[in-house]
Amino acid sequence: MKTRIFNILLLSVIFFSGCRDVLDLRPLDKLDGETLFATPEGVRVYLANLYGQLPIEDFSFGRLGFNTANVNTGGIAPATQTDDAANSEFSHLLDGGGNFQWWDQGYKLIRDINLLLETIPSVTSLSDADKATLLSEGHFLRAFTYFALVKRYGGVPLITSVQQYTPDVESLKVPRSTEKDTWDFVLSECDAAIEYLPASRTEDNRRATKWVAYALKSRAALHAASLAKYWSKAPLSGPAVSQGLVGLESSLANQYYEICIEASRKIMDEGGFSLHKPTPASPEEATVNYMELFQNPNGAAGEVIFTKGYTNPGSSGHSYDFWFNPNQTSDGAPHPGRMNPTLDFVDLYESYSNPGHSMPIVTTTDGNVTDYNGFNASKTYLRFDTPYDIFKDKDARLWATVVLPGTEWKGKTIVIQGGYIQPDGTPKIETKDQITVNGATYYTYGAADWTNYSGFEVYLGNMTRTGFSFKKFLSPNPVPPNLTYSTTDWIEFRYAEILLNYAEAVVESNYTANGAQATAKDAINAIRRRAGHTVAIELNLENVLRERRVELAFENKRYWDLVRRRDYHEKFNNTIRKALVPVLDLRVSPAKYIFIRKNLSRENPLTFPTNFYYVSIPGIGANGLVQNPQY
Amino acid sequence: MNNAWKLIAQQTIKCMLMLLGSVFLVNQVTGREHQGSGVHQQTNVTGTVRSSSEPLAGVSVSSVANASVGASTNDEGNYSISVSGNDTLLFSFVGYVPQRVAVNGRTRVDVELLPLDQQLEEIVVVGYGTQKRANLTGAISTIQAEEIQTTTHSSLAQKLQGKVPGLQIRQNTGGPGDFDAMINIRGFGSPLYVIDGIVRDGGSEFQRLNPDDIASISVLKDASAAIYGVNAANGVIIVTTKKGNKGKTQFQYNVVVGMQSPTDMPEIANAAQWMEMRNDAAVNAGLPPYISKEELEKYQQGLPGYESTNWYDETMKPWAGQQQHTLSAQGGSEKISYFSSFGFLRDNGLLKSNAIDYDRYTFRTNLTADVTKNLTASVEVSGRYDRKDGAGYSIFDIIRGTISALPTNKPYLNGNTDYPTHITDGQSSNPVAISDPNISGYTQDVNKQFQSAVTLTYKVPFVEGLQLKGLASYDGNSYLNKALTKSYKLYAYDEAADAYNAVTLRHPTVLGNGYSDMNRVSLQAHVIYNTVLADSHNIGATVVYEERNGWTRSSGLSREFQYFTNDQIDMGDQNNQRTSGMESQWGNRSFIGRFTYDYMGKYLFEAAARYDGSYRYHPDRRWGLFPVVSAGWRISEEPFFKDNVSFVSNLKVRGSYGLVGEDAGDPFQYFPGFTTSGGGGYEFSNGSYVSGVAAPSIVNEQLTWFESSIKDIGVDLGLFDGQLNLEFDVYQRDRSGLLAVRNVSLPNTFGGTLPQENLNSDRTRGLEFAFGYAKAIGDFRFNVSGNFNFARTMNVYVERGPFVNSMDRWRNGQANRWSDVVWMYDMIGQFQSEEELLYAPIQNGELGNSREMVGDFQYRDVNGDGIIDGEDVLPLAWGGNPKMFYGLTLGANWKGFDLNMLWQGSGNYSVRFTHAYAETFWGDGNLPAYFYDRWHLSDPYDPNSEWIPGKWPATRRISDIGAMYNESSVWRRDASYVRLKSLELGYSINQQLLQRIGLQGLRIYVNGYNLWTITDPFVKAFDPEQIEGALNTGWVYPLSRSFNVGANLTF
Repeated sequence: MKTRIFNILLLSVIFFSGCRDVLDLRPLDKLDGETLFATPEGVRVYLANLYGQLPIEDFSFGRLGFNTANVNTGGIAPATQTDDAANSEFSHLLDGGGNFQWWDQGYKLIRDINLLLETIPSVTSLSDADKATLLSEGHFLRAFTYFALVKRYGGVPLITSVQQYTPDVESLKVPRSTEKDTWDFVLSECDAAIEYLPASRTEDNRRATKWVAYALKSRAALHAASLAKYWSKAPLSGPAVSQGLVGLESSLANQYYEICIEASRKIMDEGGFSLHKPTPASPEEATVNYMELFQNPNGAAGEVIFTKGYTNPGSSGHSYDFWFNPNQTSDGAPHPGRMNPTLDFVDLYESYSNPGHSMPIVTTTDGNVTDYNGFNASKTYLRFDTPYDIFKDKDARLWATVVLPGTEWKGKTIVIQGGYIQPDGTPKIETKDQITVNGATYYTYGAADWTNYSGFEVYLGNMTRTGFSFKKFLSPNPVPPNLTYSTTDWIEFRYAEILLNYAEAVVESNYTANGAQATAKDAINAIRRRAGHTVAIELNLENVLRERRVELAFENKRYWDLVRRRDYHEKFNNTIRKALVPVLDLRVSPAKYIFIRKNLSRENPLTFPTNFYYVSIPGIGANGLVQNPQY
Repeated sequence: MNNAWKLIAQQTIKCMLMLLGSVFLVNQVTGREHQGSGVHQQTNVTGTVRSSSEPLAGVSVSSVANASVGASTNDEGNYSISVSGNDTLLFSFVGYVPQRVAVNGRTRVDVELLPLDQQLEEIVVVGYGTQKRANLTGAISTIQAEEIQTTTHSSLAQKLQGKVPGLQIRQNTGGPGDFDAMINIRGFGSPLYVIDGIVRDGGSEFQRLNPDDIASISVLKDASAAIYGVNAANGVIIVTTKKGNKGKTQFQYNVVVGMQSPTDMPEIANAAQWMEMRNDAAVNAGLPPYISKEELEKYQQGLPGYESTNWYDETMKPWAGQQQHTLSAQGGSEKISYFSSFGFLRDNGLLKSNAIDYDRYTFRTNLTADVTKNLTASVEVSGRYDRKDGAGYSIFDIIRGTISALPTNKPYLNGNTDYPTHITDGQSSNPVAISDPNISGYTQDVNKQFQSAVTLTYKVPFVEGLQLKGLASYDGNSYLNKALTKSYKLYAYDEAADAYNAVTLRHPTVLGNGYSDMNRVSLQAHVIYNTVLADSHNIGATVVYEERNGWTRSSGLSREFQYFTNDQIDMGDQNNQRTSGMESQWGNRSFIGRFTYDYMGKYLFEAAARYDGSYRYHPDRRWGLFPVVSAGWRISEEPFFKDNVSFVSNLKVRGSYGLVGEDAGDPFQYFPGFTTSGGGGYEFSNGSYVSGVAAPSIVNEQLTWFESSIKDIGVDLGLFDGQLNLEFDVYQRDRSGLLAVRNVSLPNTFGGTLPQENLNSDRTRGLEFAFGYAKAIGDFRFNVSGNFNFARTMNVYVERGPFVNSMDRWRNGQANRWSDVVWMYDMIGQFQSEEELLYAPIQNGELGNSREMVGDFQYRDVNGDGIIDGEDVLPLAWGGNPKMFYGLTLGANWKGFDLNMLWQGSGNYSVRFTHAYAETFWGDGNLPAYFYDRWHLSDPYDPNSEWIPGKWPATRRISDIGAMYNESSVWRRDASYVRLKSLELGYSINQQLLQRIGLQGLRIYVNGYNLWTITDPFVKAFDPEQIEGALNTGWVYPLSRSFNVGANLTF
């Protein structure tokens, strides 16, 4: 009996200690590298991580960085840091050179890309051809990443292999390359990408192709060329300059322009791309065509070179519809109306009756378009029956890009009104009030209740303060009023940009080989034709730049165009951006609309100091790098 | 396969050797004992042993000269023993003072034994065993069931608060089912919880235990916790549940019902106050008045259409109910004893919509059976089902709404409940609407717990004092969460059109289900040996092998509803479904040994160690040894003391020193793997999103646990036969290996960050004091007990870069400084005049003092440079964690009446509110009424009128203020408090009376909780004990005061 019990006890000890080792566990949420890189499928999911980190300046890019769709950004889009638009609530434009900071994340991505480049040659399951293609894809990713760095910081450390950690951190420090070497590295990486990338893909058709690499080369070379040409417009000094870490010799300009011209021309001649619906019958048709290009780029395969897709609402979507619908069509989102295109921007568009010129909005009989002092009773204002008649004859793309006062959007008439002039001549502008005239009640903002108008009231920052609301990229359908519910895809490279890059490079370098002048003129007029213009205009810098700004509006190019051409400090020199305020004139019956050109309300004057052309380099103490000028 | 078998064989052999080795060891010890016996000339001595004239049965009578000679008394208290005539007899009996009597040739020796002080004889549950309190050498406190039950609350933590020395408890929030009280021992951190000998769950689960099931709780406060190894560095709380007893079955029914209301809530401004202050804000900013004088007067008079809304009253009830019931049966036959209980608790919430409440059902059965003469088996099974219901918005949002919603708005438009008002005051939504489950949805958390253990204890018959014990336990826990986030409509009224314009919020509706399942298996094998050598050397040895492992699986799923139909997943839309899921597993294996020795209960010594292995760390670095040694000297047992200082019944000095561990960081940090979380993803073709895997970060294979060394020195003093007991301890814990990132300046072009390493260290020091006094005067008995604990933590080594300058060192240095210290401006008063403002140092940066006004707070210019900036802050306040805890219990009994009063307090900490409680018009919402006592113009419509001083600065909006919101003693308040935590009055009805109606006992009582508080008057309105909550807003569920009636019925 006793021994039996003892045996039972002993057996139970053996049973529970012997069956398994409870300590020998492996984490269930980690994969080891050998397993991952053993198959092309594993390589592909690793690539998804790299593409996901790629510094694509799309809907989810802003002051706070990349991939910020699920962050409360206050709806501060890059365009609001330029003269194209203002944010309805926030006036701040530039935060001390820390703007668009992207350093640590950039070098993390470079490390991840280098890991791919070092691993691919040893993956036995891949054919040599597949390896070559994958390596080219890695070079494309690295070119894209260094391009994002060089345009922010100038010359940066070129790190091309995975550094191994050692406590001897000195050996890990890599000095900055010159700005020229960095640009050349970006361009040579583009060449390495072009070499083996396929011309097209049937599966995974949003991964890089030869043409995507050419497009990147076109964009990067144009950037470098303009820097070289215009660097001296805003010269800087200091060790970074004297060591060539920032700055390019003007003599280099034409060489880079030529690279841009060649890369662009390659796409134009051999890429098989075309503008989407190039010959509309009317401006109205052009408006529709242009809108649908951005509402669904997948319907415009001919024009799209490289797309960043958005797919799962609520997790991997973006938030443009959340922030940027006019107040009346917010679908319940709490803070809509954030992107307010400025009058400066609207003024830029051509009218069909006077091709080849920007046509500022004329509001008074004296035709003065430079008086921004607000309502002046002594002036004679032009009176209009509707709040949008004043824009008739303007470029189709204005109607497609901007919600104009009184126009329809998502089934509603968008009311944007800044006040009224009482019958006795008293102006009530940008203040909440109501008046009854001949039995009819009028409201300063166009309606009694805040849910029924979209302009000018200071209410949660939900109303436009420029007189314009934003439309390009927005979905015409209801979108759930939460962050990350928009799934409109983003076109990172499209054919029109290549045409514009080409035209600019040709004009700037006065390039003539290969019939370049005529081809460039055709290029800008092809884009204008698509917008409903039927009269061709001359090839000159002003025309090319206006066309670029209008065509690529809100595609996050304006900020870098101002930087690379060194126009920023001239545009923003104690500058206040402008608004166009529609006002109901009750002095006449029936009431008519007049418009007031004025400085933006609640706006501080903005200045771009020249040192902001380069972003300050973070972590100087640890990385031992030479800081950019004047930081 | 072969390898696996080999491993199993190795494991088995290892364990068998260990077990056999220990048996062999104890056999040797006992063998030696038998050699000591011998034979001498005998006489027969008889006698009777009594206590208070009652005969005592079972008293051990032994010869001092020859320990092997012994006898014991029979039922009449008589004994008979053969000893030599010059021998001395030793009479000893559990619970009585042992007595030595010289025979001196007599043949009859009658003895009267005195009962020992009970407390000293109490059997205390310690790690892997029990010990007599008198023999404890570690700092261990205990509390019994009756003492726990004097306070009524749904959380066990609140029932313990203030009662156990060194057990620091703070109720953070008051929501039903929150169970988020801070529980820590001596300021160390979250302790380890052991329930019936098994490491189980955490603080939240502990707080849910049915207190009616608990027999006692022991708290291991010093290195005696080392026997639990890793994760015992913050001390151990050991709960022992009630067991059966042999005898007639006794049923007990305990019931308590009561009502609870917030201890306090800050009053919020009414419409007239809000309008006056808003008007001030406009005028003070140099703008035209916000409202015309005529309109303002209408608000002040509360004319129709100008009434004030009290949003708190619209949203919340004045009180909510609570009830607790437990029915238990306890008893047993000769071979089997049992305790079995069933409990139910309901805690209702304060929302008018009744969206919040908490229900709990518990059962427990503890069964012990004598299977054979030497083998005992016990089975313990318990379970719990509890459910917490919440609103569709967090309490944070709802409380914010009750504060920030403007008193000029109404919950419903034109009083029509079909049209709840859309408001956005102070970034809040309409609290009446968002707290209504029918409008905005709900949350539900269900927790199901099952715990079980089977224990076999075998008294080895051929070795006296040797026991073998095996224990196997399985616990399961499943957690189910359901959340309906409903889309709803609020309305704005368009007067012109007489239309209600709907605003849709939170579209689309989302329904989510979450599920997780936890499993835990614990296995233990004990070898226990106790013996007495030569009557005076008491030796005990325990060896335990233990392994624990667990696995969990969790998953979540959700669907959207474009059109909401029913709160079922299958009714949701097919698109945009979301799922998640993960499993995890863990394991620990340990070898534990303890050796105790005392010489005649005078010199006490204990050594214990645990060799602990953990799955979390690199295989080469996963085993650690955690030893403790402790010793005590009972001076009161020494003859020189006993004979001279008779009023001291107990005097013991004791000390302990040991090493304990604490898990550091996430598990598997040594493993450099690619992960699917944290990697970007990309849509490689339209509609097909590829989730990426992220590259591994740099790993630290060396990562290991924190190591704590704990020292404790204590004195226990009993006076007047144990009527007054005192305990005093000082202690110090040094932790090393705290995680930090090494300060090597890795260039930020490296593309990665360094992992955490075991670098930093800190030190906690404290003292602890407890006393108890009990006395009976005729029928009247009373007792007083109190405890006090003060502890602070100091950073010792903090990894960081070199200081830039001495200011940097002064301002940012942390090493060798107390932690939880707050730097702030020294507020020296309020500006009394424009002139004073003119000459004051600049305190608002580039704006100078242009925005400062009379009544604004003025700060001290510490460095005298005329500018008040970051260089003028001083370490002026303790942060948010109390450093001092104390409690005082007063109890009395008289003729069936009993009274219990508990005072409890904390000190040396502060609270700091931000947002609506510490800013006027935060988010342009409403503000607390206290701001109404402010500097203001006697006539706001006359800018030249006189300033009337107030307690607060002139009211302004955030955009118009100067430096008045700087951190200072204005906003950060000392929250020290003392409160009457509980008061209970009971009456036990005469037993003879009850027996006539077939009852054995009935006690009825009334009690109250959080009855009265003494603290800073500003803090009082928030309750000083409550935490500030998310973002320091104070928007948390208020703590409650309750009044209850209860009964304990035995039959």
